[in-house]
Amino acid sequence: MEENDHSIIRAVLSGDKEAYGALVVRHSHAVFRVAFRITGDEADAEEVVQEAFLRGYQRLESFESRSQFGTWIYRIAVNCALNMMNKRKLEATHQIAEDADPTQQQVQVADTAADPERLLLSQEIEALQVRAMQRLTATERTAFVLRHMEARSTDEIAAALHIAPNAAKQAVFRAVQKLRRGLAPLRTNA
Amino acid sequence: MKHLTEEELVDHYYGEATNPADIESHLHACNVCAENYATLQQDLASIKSPAVPVRDASYGDQVWKSLRNSVPVYEKQKRRWLHFNLAQGLGYATACIVLIAAAFFAGRQWEHRKHPSTQLAGNNQPARPIILVVLGDHLDRSERLLVELNHANDVSAVMPVKAEAQDLLSANRLYRESATRAGDPQLTAALDRLERVLVEIVNAPDSSSPAQLARLQKEMNTDGLLFEVRVLRSRIPDQQKNSAVRTKGVSI
Repeated sequence: MEENDHSIIRAVLSGDKEAYGALVVRHSHAVFRVAFRITGDEADAEEVVQEAFLRGYQRLESFESRSQFGTWIYRIAVNCALNMMNKRKLEATHQIAEDADPTQQQVQVADTAADPERLLLSQEIEALQVRAMQRLTATERTAFVLRHMEARSTDEIAAALHIAPNAAKQAVFRAVQKLRRGLAPLRTNA
Repeated sequence: MKHLTEEELVDHYYGEATNPADIESHLHACNVCAENYATLQQDLASIKSPAVPVRDASYGDQVWKSLRNSVPVYEKQKRRWLHFNLAQGLGYATACIVLIAAAFFAGRQWEHRKHPSTQLAGNNQPARPIILVVLGDHLDRSERLLVELNHANDVSAVMPVKAEAQDLLSANRLYRESATRAGDPQLTAALDRLERVLVEIVNAPDSSSPAQLARLQKEMNTDGLLFEVRVLRSRIPDQQKNSAVRTKGVSI
């Protein structure tokens, strides 16, 4: 699989631009998945996917043949998502300052079919979770998503975020603390 | 009992504790930590990954279509190969030049080392074989002259001997001087006597009578001189053989 990736990269670097399409097709779903988990927004995730593959193409000459393209583009996507998060947080800060409209706080959650009571509880949990996630910094959120949802190790998180492993570990820990505080109402209700 | 920190519990939950066995045994022994860990597990387990919107099989193609017009065709790789080949070629050329220069320099050094030794040898050795060869020829001619002189019975036989003696005289003087410089008294003495005989022959009147020739032969002891010349001639091959290893002494 990765052998094929390497041959495709060689072809692209030799002038076969269309060959890059095969890499995009092969890895776009995985990139979209992590981008959505980090950004929490479908449109932003799609934008991250495009940005990641664009950057990947532009930096393809710096790709080291001993690496795996999947891992490489994944890290680029994480960085793009992190940038997107920072950008959105900045925009949100300006919007809140200009117009404190509670509807802006609405979040996008996946629709899960269930009975009305469970659906209500589930929506409440998800809303709490989303709000708790929104209170995280971009780095904390990204680190937590990679740790908790993508099951990445501390070293992998550190490599993806270009930070020291200890900093990555601390980011995950701070995120867990904040999320637990945010989810505390569920615990008391239970 | 020291309780586990929240950070240690989080690490343990994600499987990154440094000593998971110790933590497990502590959790079995400590109810407080076990309760904290259970709460942590409950909290983290409640945080579900949001359902990722499904993308159809053509999603990758769509992404590529949106990108393909904004990315250039890579030509840098070709240039890089060109640069690489050019650099490689230049490297090889430089290496060749360095090798040639090194070979040239080494050759010159070799010549410099070799040249003084030949010069040194030239000062001591090569002149000797040349002298020996020429002296051998000179002694041959001198021997023939002495033989002719010893067998000369009339005036007609004296004239060619005189001409030959004249020719040999100047050469003999040079050989004698060389033998003197070389510190070979035997050769010097022989050449000195030969020179005196040659002088006498040259200075002898053209109309020398057989009686005068007989007196010259007797006074100059040409027979003895002829013997000496023959002895010297017999030494020449040995001298030539030994000349390569000798550094001092006679140069014949």
